[in-house]
Parts: sequence; C-alpha cells; structure tokens
Amino acid sequence: MAASIAGVFENDLQQAINSSKVFVVGAGGIGCEILKNLVMSGFNDIEIIDLDTIDVSNLNRQFLFHKQHVGKSKAEVARESALSFNPTVNIKAYHDSTMSADYGVNFFKRFAVVMNALDNRMARNHVNRMCLAADVPLIESGTAGYEGQVELIKKQLTQCYECLPKAPQKTYPGCTIRNTPSEPIHCIVWSKHLFNQLFGENDPDMDVSPDTADPDAAGDAGMAALKGEANDQGNVTRVTTREWAVKSNYDPEKLFRKLFHDDIKYLLSMGNLWKNRTPPKPLVFGEVPDAVAGCSNETDAVLKDQKIWSVAECVEIFSSSCRNLYSQQQRLDLGDNLVWDKDDKDAMDFVASCANIRAYIFGIPQKSRFDIKSMAGNIIPAIATSNAIVAGLVVLKAFYVLRGQLENCQSVYLRNKPNHKNVQIVPEACLVEPNSKCYVCSPKHEVQLCVDVQSLTVKELEEQILKKGLHMVAPDVITATGTVILSSEEGETTDNYPKTLSQMGVVNGSILKADDFLQNYELNIVIVQRCLTRDGPLFEIIGSETAKPGSPEKLQPENGQTDDDDDVVHVIDGESTSNATSSIRKRKLET
Amino acid sequence: MGEMASVDITEDEAQLYDRQIRLWGLESQKRLRKARVLVIGARGFGAEVCKNIILAGVKSVTIMDHGVVDEQDFCSQFLVPRSEIGKNRAEASLERAQELNPMVEITADKEKIDDKPDSFFGNFDVVCATECTTAQFLHLDNVCRENNIKFFCGDVYGFFGYIFLDLQIQEFMEEVTTITNTHEPTGEPLAKKRKTEKTVQNTKGTETYVPLQDALDVDWTSESYAKRLKRMDPSYFVMKALLKFCDKKGRKPSPSEREKDIESLKEFVKEELTKQKIREDFVPELLLKDVFAEISPVCAIMGGITAQEIIKTVSQKERPHNNIFFFNPLKCIGYSACFGV
Repeated sequence: MAASIAGVFENDLQQAINSSKVFVVGAGGIGCEILKNLVMSGFNDIEIIDLDTIDVSNLNRQFLFHKQHVGKSKAEVARESALSFNPTVNIKAYHDSTMSADYGVNFFKRFAVVMNALDNRMARNHVNRMCLAADVPLIESGTAGYEGQVELIKKQLTQCYECLPKAPQKTYPGCTIRNTPSEPIHCIVWSKHLFNQLFGENDPDMDVSPDTADPDAAGDAGMAALKGEANDQGNVTRVTTREWAVKSNYDPEKLFRKLFHDDIKYLLSMGNLWKNRTPPKPLVFGEVPDAVAGCSNETDAVLKDQKIWSVAECVEIFSSSCRNLYSQQQRLDLGDNLVWDKDDKDAMDFVASCANIRAYIFGIPQKSRFDIKSMAGNIIPAIATSNAIVAGLVVLKAFYVLRGQLENCQSVYLRNKPNHKNVQIVPEACLVEPNSKCYVCSPKHEVQLCVDVQSLTVKELEEQILKKGLHMVAPDVITATGTVILSSEEGETTDNYPKTLSQMGVVNGSILKADDFLQNYELNIVIVQRCLTRDGPLFEIIGSETAKPGSPEKLQPENGQTDDDDDVVHVIDGESTSNATSSIRKRKLET
Repeated sequence: MGEMASVDITEDEAQLYDRQIRLWGLESQKRLRKARVLVIGARGFGAEVCKNIILAGVKSVTIMDHGVVDEQDFCSQFLVPRSEIGKNRAEASLERAQELNPMVEITADKEKIDDKPDSFFGNFDVVCATECTTAQFLHLDNVCRENNIKFFCGDVYGFFGYIFLDLQIQEFMEEVTTITNTHEPTGEPLAKKRKTEKTVQNTKGTETYVPLQDALDVDWTSESYAKRLKRMDPSYFVMKALLKFCDKKGRKPSPSEREKDIESLKEFVKEELTKQKIREDFVPELLLKDVFAEISPVCAIMGGITAQEIIKTVSQKERPHNNIFFFNPLKCIGYSACFGV
C-alpha cells in the first residue's frame, strides 16, 4: 500500500491518507474503481454504500464482481474483493439506500471527504444536500460512454450539484401516451405503464386506457363507445384495467382484444383526435401479418435481440410473456406486485412486444428488443476504461482535498475525443463559484412554482414536485398562516392527498414553507398560478436557473439521453448518471 | 471497413458485453474478440491495461514479466495477492486476471524479452510494453514495424505517466459531427430561436505514425520545434529525463532514495534542456518531485487511456492518439502531441 512505504508520497499526504476516514457512495463502475484506488493508496478507514445487487451486465466493468457474485450485494462483494488487495484495511459496507434516514447529517460529518459514484440524479441531489449540511467536501463524478467528469463540491467555495439547472427530465403528456402516440418512445412508455397496470403497483398516473378528458377530443368524448361499453358490462362505471384483467384471468387473447382492438376502436370514436392525425388501425387477434413492415432483416450481422420481430411474432411473445408474468404474479404474496425490471426476461419481452404492436397500430416504426431495452431501461452505455480514468481523477482530487489544497480541485472532464488542442483529460481553469441564487446552497432558499392551484392535488405536490422536482425525501409543508398541508409523519395528512391546492387555501402569490428534516433543508415556495394546457407540463419550477451575469462558463445543454424518463424507471448503471450526458457540461475549457 | 469479422457473438457474450456493445457496436466487439495482445511489464500500470482489455473481451492476453513481486507492487498492482511476494510477477497475476473474464485466454510468460526471438512477437496483434529500457522499447518497436504489429509503450512514474503509439498506418472509421446553426425567420429574439442541427456521419480516416526513435530524437533547436516550445507543456522533457534515469541507473526512481533521485532527475532534465538550448526553468521542479512507485489513481488513468487506445486500434473505430499521450499531474491534464514527424 503506497502510504505505508516511506518516500512514495510527500509526508503530509502520507499522513493524511493514513488517518482519514472516507466515504464512497455507490459500488458500481466508478465505485469499484475508486475503492481499489483507495485501498492500494493506503487508506485505512473506508465506508461504502450501495443499494444494488450485482447483475451479469455489470461484469464487463465492475471488476470487483465475478459471475459467482450475481445477485449479491454490490457493497458487500466490493468490500470482500477489496480486502483481498489489503486484508488489514478497515472497510464498512452498507447494502442500503443512501437516502435512508439512517444516514443523517451526523453520519456524514464523520468523513474527511465523500466521493460520489452514483447513477441517478435523485441520490446525487440528496448527497449534495447532506454534504452541504454537514460541511464535508464532496467529490462528484459520472461517466457516460467515453465521457466523464469529476468536480469538487464544497460549501461556499464552489458550485453545488444543484446550482445550475439540469436538463429537464423528459416527460410525455398523458394524452400523447394514452391517445395519440407518434414516436416509438410513446409506445414504450405506454407499455411500461401497462405492465404496472396489469402486474405492478397501481398508479393512477399511469392509466393506459383512452383518455376521454383529452382537450383535443373536446366535443365528442367518445360517447358512442362509452355507451357501448356501458351496455356491454351493464354498468356505467368503467372498471380499471387491473380489475378487468383479473376477471379475464389474464387470458392473452382477451387482453389483446381489449388493448389492441376495443380500446383502439374507442379512440377512433373520438373523431376530433384524427382530424389532423393518421387514425390507428385496430388489430384482430390471429389476423396479424407475419412480416416486418418496411424492413428487411439481415440475419447474421446482428445479435438475436437486434432483429425486429414481425407483428405475428410480437403477438406470440406478448401471449407467452403475459402468461409467464401472470404465473410470476400468482406466486407472490397477496397484495405484492411485480416490479418492472429490464433484466427480467418476461417483463422485457412484454414491454417490447406491446410497444411494437401498439407502434404497428399507430403506423410508428417498430424497434428491436435491444433498442427498446435501451429506451425503456434508460441504459447509458458504460465501459471499464472511462470509469477507471474518472475514478483515478476522483482519488487524485481527494488527495488535494485531504492536503487542504482546494485551489487545485478544479473540475476535470474526460472527453470523447480530444479537443482542438488534443487535450482529452481537460481541467477547468478555476473553481466555479456558487450561484448566489441557488435554492440549495445560497443563504436564501426560494423558488417560484408555476402551477394550476385548481387542479394540482396535495399528493401531486408531494410526489411530482417536492420529491421528483425538488429532490426532497420526506418533506413537510405548511402555509404562511401555519396550515399543515403535508406532513412527513406517516398518515398525518393522508386526508389532504386528494385535495387541490386551492382547496387547501393556496392561491396565486401564496408562500409555502417546505422542510426536509433529514436533509436539514428548508425552502420557500412562491406559488404562481398558471392554467394547465394539453401538452404543457404539470408544473414549472423557477429557481436558480440563471447563473450570474458575467460568470465564465457558458453551458451548452447536451443532446442525448435524458434522465429517468417519466415514470418508474430503473436506472441501471452503476457509474453513470442517469443524466450523465446532460450533466456532462461542455464548456469552453482552458488547457 | 475492411473485412467483416465473421465470428458470431454468443448469447453469453451478448449478455456480458451488453453495455459496451451498445456503445461501440457489434462489429467492434467482434474485432476485439479476435485480438491477441502481449502486455510486457506487469506492475501497476501493466495490471490496469490488462484489466481493461480483459474486461473488454479481447481474444487473448499474454502477461509477460520476468521480475518478482516486491512491496512496491502493492501501491497499485491489484492482480497480485499479498502472499505472492518474491514470486514471479506474471505468474502471480494470472489467477485474478483470469477471474476478470473467463472468456479471454490468459497466459503468463516469465522470460525476459531479450531472450525472445523476433518471431515470438509475430503471435500478437498488439504489443504494449512498460518497464523497459529505451533500447528495449526501440528494439520492440522495430520488430513490431517489421511484422505489422501495433506497438504501444509507456510507463507511470509516481503521479506522472506517458504512452507512445506506433500504429504504423492505422485506418479507422470515425463519427464526425457537424453542427450547423439555422435561424428561424421569425421576429423572435435570436438567442431563443437559434436552432442547431447535428449531423453525424461515419467517415473513413487514416493516421500515419513514425517510429519511436524519431519521436525521441527531436531537435528542439530546429525552427519548427523551437516555435512549439512557447506554448508547450513540459511533460516531454520529464519523460526523456525519466527514460534516461532508468537507462543509466538500471531502475526507476526509488522512494527510499527520494531526495537523491530527485536531484539526479533534475540533472538529467538540465542536461537535456541545455543540449537543446532551452531555458532551465522550462520544466518546473514540482513536476519532478512525485515520481516514485506507481500510484494507483494514475495507473488507473493511464491504464484506462492506454486500454481505450488499444480498443480503438483493434476495432478500427475512432482516431487513436498520434503519437505521445502525457498525463501531467500538476495541471491534471491529459493530452497528446505528435513528435518526430
């Protein structure tokens, strides 16, 4: 171990390494590499946390894991493997979420430096806030494909993770998903929602049946179809997809008829939708073409998963995956649900086949299972080399932090291709100062929330805005007059969930105080009334979006893969930010 | 793109390599799977190169090292268990190297390169050499040139690292992105309405390389090179001094001789700078202070860069560096520059 050999490091660094307690958040691609570098460098006291278990697709880069470890805890196996490099080092592994209440500010205060090796924005935001609250230096990193970045986050010295807005998460309006898909991704999102409707946890935001409230369909609201349905079932109350599926014993043929024939006919009855759109064509089970429209399949040049299925094949796969998922579900305890996982064969088959059948119906190009997996699973390609390079840079920066040389901790970028000066590992010219308007690290925590108080419910406020939008974990919310709208105490404000903000007395100009005890974080939310539109977003948060005028960097939002798409997303890859591509900031860099 | 690799990828491989196939494509993976790589020198840097190319899924890796495991290996050589001190370094690395990927053929070779006939190297598509003398590097490069083998050499000294590439003539496909700005003819403010269109095209490219000898024999008093000095990072001269140090002393700088070795190194730098008529302070002394052992994070950086260059070369996808890549730890910068052309 380097620090145990005199003369390898300068004295101060040697001592710092020997005596510092450090925390690695994430034991994926970057985390494994960081852990190796730490142990080999001679750190004696390391803690590492990861919620995840090992999957076979991790093994091409998460080199502390081997085939026999598949299914085991990443943190624990990483610890064992790293101990084989140096059996005397003290490593504590947590198989847990870093967002759990067990890891509060006092937990974080114990470390000299924290190194993030995370794969999602949610956890990154959280650790950012914890380190700010504990005033511990945080080294943040991420990779996506050939690219990567490393940056120091230190309270009042540098930008924090939330100082600049990240590219917004891509969401798709419910009407597009349910009524008028026009791109493959719309069908894929619909299929994932369908999976949850049929087998997963029920979420009313993931309805897959035709949306009669679609403003584009105003005027005709599918009355004929509604009537037909009422007659059919002798009852005007529409049953949920789940109830209906249970009643039909998940019979694939019946499911198919409802999803790809009856519901499509219903959509067709909403005539206004199709005035300027190509109307969908209902499919009849057993009467589908056994060919791929407009596509000749080369057979050898591609992987099995890269071939595009004919519609007939899709129907077959739909039927068999349906049956398999149904029996998977039967084996669960009552009340338990399946969770969609791109690495579960049946779950993936189901989504791929449904997405392609729906795409065919709407005249949208079909995709291979391989490509659908990328899109549905938000896969950001990951390789060993980028992770190794970025993890090396992380630990070099940690050396500087421990020596107190924060001025040497400028951000560093690993580029896909060298820049015009042939620089591939590119350091930023200087530390970037905090954004004085940041709603997380500036003294004044305030955002404006543009939202329709007439329609937004307290539940939506909690889930969509406070948790997803503002990255809180367990928020409490009170109004300026002291009314408790939301409490993080289990069950205390459940009655408020269905109420709209306006029913809670919130109007244009109201100020809500949100408080997250775990994150030690308070935020004022100024309400700006804005009416909901068909394709418009549910809400918009205006906060620290403007960097100070004259600040040196110009951000160029990257095109590319976006964050967790709209819904329950399993972000996969250890190392890369689910939003890595967008968070990798391309700046004019000095060399 | 030359002949198509004909080997088929099995389902197991598709699963294991899923994430990288999504990045570099199936064809690259097939080419990787045919590549036979020789890694000479298995300390920390060599171990990192091995790890990355084994994970990537080349056909075979031969780890060659005649040295024995010593304490310094444990600064970064994670393939060697601590119990193997005193044993041959290549053999001691074998088991863990194999665990990284059972689908790659891995062999250990404990002979010295000087004892190998030139024909030995013909068994490989890529040779990556570290821990050699300048004379050995030059000889290897010549042998590789004659046999059309892609040659890499380099080393890590403490926090500093470099690699040299001689790929002779390298053909490759690369994605070239062109960004065009289009303005919408509306009255809206320009900043809001500017649209950029990205077009990505696959283009064929070629790079031509010079032998190592040429890259080391640069005459800095010549007009064109003297001009370059103005804007140049001094890493080249650090590399030269370190090579000279090893050639003269038969070892790398040693942590136990820290102060003495720093002084010798300064002398070698000074000698070279004087010879080339360059001012003495061109190389900051700070850059010569942390050159001891092979530091794990720097091995990771240099091993990552080197392996990625090997992957680019073998898969003939993307333009490899031409011809020396440096990591300068003072600025935390990694760049390539072309010497001797």
